[in-house]
Amino acid sequence: MQPLPPRWLDKLAHRICAPHLREELLGDLYERYALRHRRTGARKANWFFMREVTALLRPSIMKRKPSPYRSPSAFNPEMLRNYFKIGSRVLLKNSGYSAIHITGLSIGLWACMMVATVVIDSLSYDRQWSRKDDIYRIVTVNKMAQNISERNSSSPSGLAPVLQKNYAEVESWSALSSGEKHFKIRLTDNEGINTNLLTADTSVGRILDLKLLAGTLKHPTQAHQSLVVTRSYAARIFPGQDAVGKIIYDIPVFSSEPTPYEITGLIDDLPYNSHLRADAIRLEVSKPETLVNNGIMSFGRNYILLKHGTDIAEFTKKVNAFYVRFMKNNDREQFEFQPLTDVYLHSDFAEGQRVKASIRTIYIFGGVALLLLFIACVNFVNLSTAKAFARVKEAGVRKVLSGSRMQLVMQLLTETLLLFGISVGVAVFAYFFTLSPVENFLGHRLILTFTSNMLMAAGALLMFFLTALLTGLYPAWVISGFKPAATLRGMFTASLGQIGLRKTLVVAQFSISIIVLVATIVVWQQFDLMKNKELGYDKNNLIGIEQISWNGKGEAFKNEVQRIPGVVRSTLSTWMPTEGAGYMQREVKDPIHANRRIRVWYIAGDIDLPATLGLKMVKGRTFSNRFADAFNADSLREADVAKFEQAQMRQSSLMTATAAQMLGIRQLDTYAKDAQSVPVGIVSDFHNESLYEPIKPTLILAQKAPEYGGMLIRIQPGTEMQVAAGIRRIWKGFFADKLLRINNVEQQLTKQYEAESKLHQLFLFFSGLTMFLSALGIFGLVVQAAEQRAKEVGIRKVLGASVAGIVGLISRDFVKLVVIAIVVASPLAWYALQKWLESYPYRTPISWWVFVATGTATLLVTIGTVSYQAIRAATADPVRSLRSE
Amino acid sequence: MRRSDLGEFEEIVLLAVAALAPGAYSVSIAEELENETGQTVSTGAVHAALQRLEQKGYLSSHLGEATQERGGRRKRLFTVTAYGGKILHDVRSVRNSLWDRITPAEMTKMGLNFSNS
Repeated sequence: MQPLPPRWLDKLAHRICAPHLREELLGDLYERYALRHRRTGARKANWFFMREVTALLRPSIMKRKPSPYRSPSAFNPEMLRNYFKIGSRVLLKNSGYSAIHITGLSIGLWACMMVATVVIDSLSYDRQWSRKDDIYRIVTVNKMAQNISERNSSSPSGLAPVLQKNYAEVESWSALSSGEKHFKIRLTDNEGINTNLLTADTSVGRILDLKLLAGTLKHPTQAHQSLVVTRSYAARIFPGQDAVGKIIYDIPVFSSEPTPYEITGLIDDLPYNSHLRADAIRLEVSKPETLVNNGIMSFGRNYILLKHGTDIAEFTKKVNAFYVRFMKNNDREQFEFQPLTDVYLHSDFAEGQRVKASIRTIYIFGGVALLLLFIACVNFVNLSTAKAFARVKEAGVRKVLSGSRMQLVMQLLTETLLLFGISVGVAVFAYFFTLSPVENFLGHRLILTFTSNMLMAAGALLMFFLTALLTGLYPAWVISGFKPAATLRGMFTASLGQIGLRKTLVVAQFSISIIVLVATIVVWQQFDLMKNKELGYDKNNLIGIEQISWNGKGEAFKNEVQRIPGVVRSTLSTWMPTEGAGYMQREVKDPIHANRRIRVWYIAGDIDLPATLGLKMVKGRTFSNRFADAFNADSLREADVAKFEQAQMRQSSLMTATAAQMLGIRQLDTYAKDAQSVPVGIVSDFHNESLYEPIKPTLILAQKAPEYGGMLIRIQPGTEMQVAAGIRRIWKGFFADKLLRINNVEQQLTKQYEAESKLHQLFLFFSGLTMFLSALGIFGLVVQAAEQRAKEVGIRKVLGASVAGIVGLISRDFVKLVVIAIVVASPLAWYALQKWLESYPYRTPISWWVFVATGTATLLVTIGTVSYQAIRAATADPVRSLRSE
Repeated sequence: MRRSDLGEFEEIVLLAVAALAPGAYSVSIAEELENETGQTVSTGAVHAALQRLEQKGYLSSHLGEATQERGGRRKRLFTVTAYGGKILHDVRSVRNSLWDRITPAEMTKMGLNFSNS
């Protein structure tokens, strides 16, 4: 028998050898193999054959002989022109499909651009300072108990100077705090200009790059406060004049007289995309405090500039070790150094930081937009592969006429690029005109946009081009891969893999839509819960005057307010809803759990406070004039601090139920050590802070006309305007110079949940879009299916099928896919939202009806989309579809 | 004469074709060279050399008969063209003239006995 070389080597040799050389060369190999086999046996012959095959790897043998019937290169200019010509004709001919494609892609691309803008803008914050990598904010970490710690954006004022003295790494430091102030140009002006004010000491120039245009960054005058203004702000208040040297006045909140500010410097505008965004800087002479290890320390927002290349982890360790030693082995307070570039996005803990965003929102935002683009691209792929049916004949003819596969791929890619190009145009147009509504929605300006930054625009175009290539490649590959003989004979059956892929993509698409829809409902429920939850006090018909110093006229003012028709009750209070948990907090040992400390919060107001808020009594009595509950804290403190402390011990207090329980108070009307007062009554719990925080144990003290504080006014329903007008009138008489800020408490409360409200609006918008795009995709598919099955439908009808039966036949496949999507998406949505809700102390339950409702809605949308085409197909005249060909 | 045209391996293959005529094809040449030199010679190398020689016009070829050992494939048989013969001759004469110019004394120094081969 003829000995044969191993099959795989034979195949390999066949593969390597060019077709025109195969006969002689492979024959030679066989012959030599037979010779060797006879001479040395099978093993050596096989071994030698392998060497022979490797020896075939040379260009002269591998190089294929070019075909004598060559098609022109797929990239020659004639062909390129041809692609565009044919491509645009195809798109025009199938204008319906093109419209679906363009709508879907435009929406996807637009959303993606928009969100990319927001994300890039958020990431750009504080990146323009030249020393951005070396500036850190000192963050205090307060250990409350094992594993529980609180982070605070302020740190002891004495710390930074000590660090500069002790450590060579520290170059400089500065205390920076930002706030708002109203300034007026003349003393006699009534209205002030709202100004973002950064308060800094004179060392600020060493940390931030301030480009001084005129004046000085020092603090030259002792007579006035010193103010450095930015160029655009100067142009606003003194248009066309030299602002330096001018004096402007603030509208006081706490002091009784307007304070004069001298403009001592003019700087270039500060970057808007910085958490230190400001119109003007109030300069203060830096007077470093000494760090003490016992007694009272003041806190401030301190920034520290380190030498370039300092290992921050190492430095943090050193500082904390030093601090523990300094505080005599008390490690309750530790410090972290937060990089300047992290301050904007990673400051959820920082109360009072006005310019910040949450990285979580950015993630959600970006995720949803990417999903949207995914859905749009899926639509494209699905429709194109489904339409392959219409294109394969063309592909077959082109191939027979010596078109290469490369040319076909190029042709189809050109069409994809054309569609993407048009969509990008539409998207950019929409983007340009929706930028400002989006800015309004966000509440701040976007600095880096695709239409303002060339680099970003170029990057975006490149990304679009790549997306188009990736999306277009698969359908092009599929369509160009069919054998021309089979397609021309009409033996076209979509391969199983393709249908499987298309189905998977539809399921993925709808799953995403369903998840977003469920998220929309749940976010809304959470927002609704926070907005409408019973707070323990009556938040309706309550208006507040923001905190000021009353200059001793508080009591009199209150009496006047009391007389305004519509006012039911009013109170001077040191605590206003939405402004923190209380004016004072005290840490006491937990009487129930050893080793734990609890924080008790104090609220003070005059004796009308509980009644004005509408707190419910649980036990004991409320404050009353009969018992001398009110305590003249201000005057007592001024007279004698020691006596004041003693008197405070005997002071009557009300406590919330939680406080009573946590402090273990059983007996009223006797001095309680942990409460440092005499509890006379217990009121039911109320939320003194937003619902992001769990309920806080709180004590209420009564003070006689507190000097610093706001005012809460309970009014009759529907009299808000009238009462506000009355207050304004009285205010003029009492505090002509002071800024009056009246709020509706309920509105203020709702404003706290702006993040949720925005998230909800965003989801509402996105859920609409994803659902629309998914429906669009399925619509395209159903059109395709109806066309493809026209003949089948015709035959069925001739054989007596009913319209309903045929509609069912066509719709069934799609409805099935959507049902699968519902089953897949529901648990995913449930899990994701459960995770999201975990961070809220008060969360809405995710009930089963949410899933039922979204499922039903999705099914309705699907059936609505599908049945229109299905009915059209079912009612078509069968003669028409059967007569063709 | 363009000596650079003809590599050493090519020259040997060309000589082998002339020596094995009329039955010169890759297998017979490779086997012959293996016998003469004692080194393994791969068919691919020989084939490539033959291809190059044919391109240069030193060889001509035609397809021969098929055998069962070859899996029913025909072989390509090579013959030296007149131009190829002239080249071989040129190469040889260059060599001979150089050999002739070596003095007997030098020959002995190299350890070669000139008197008989």
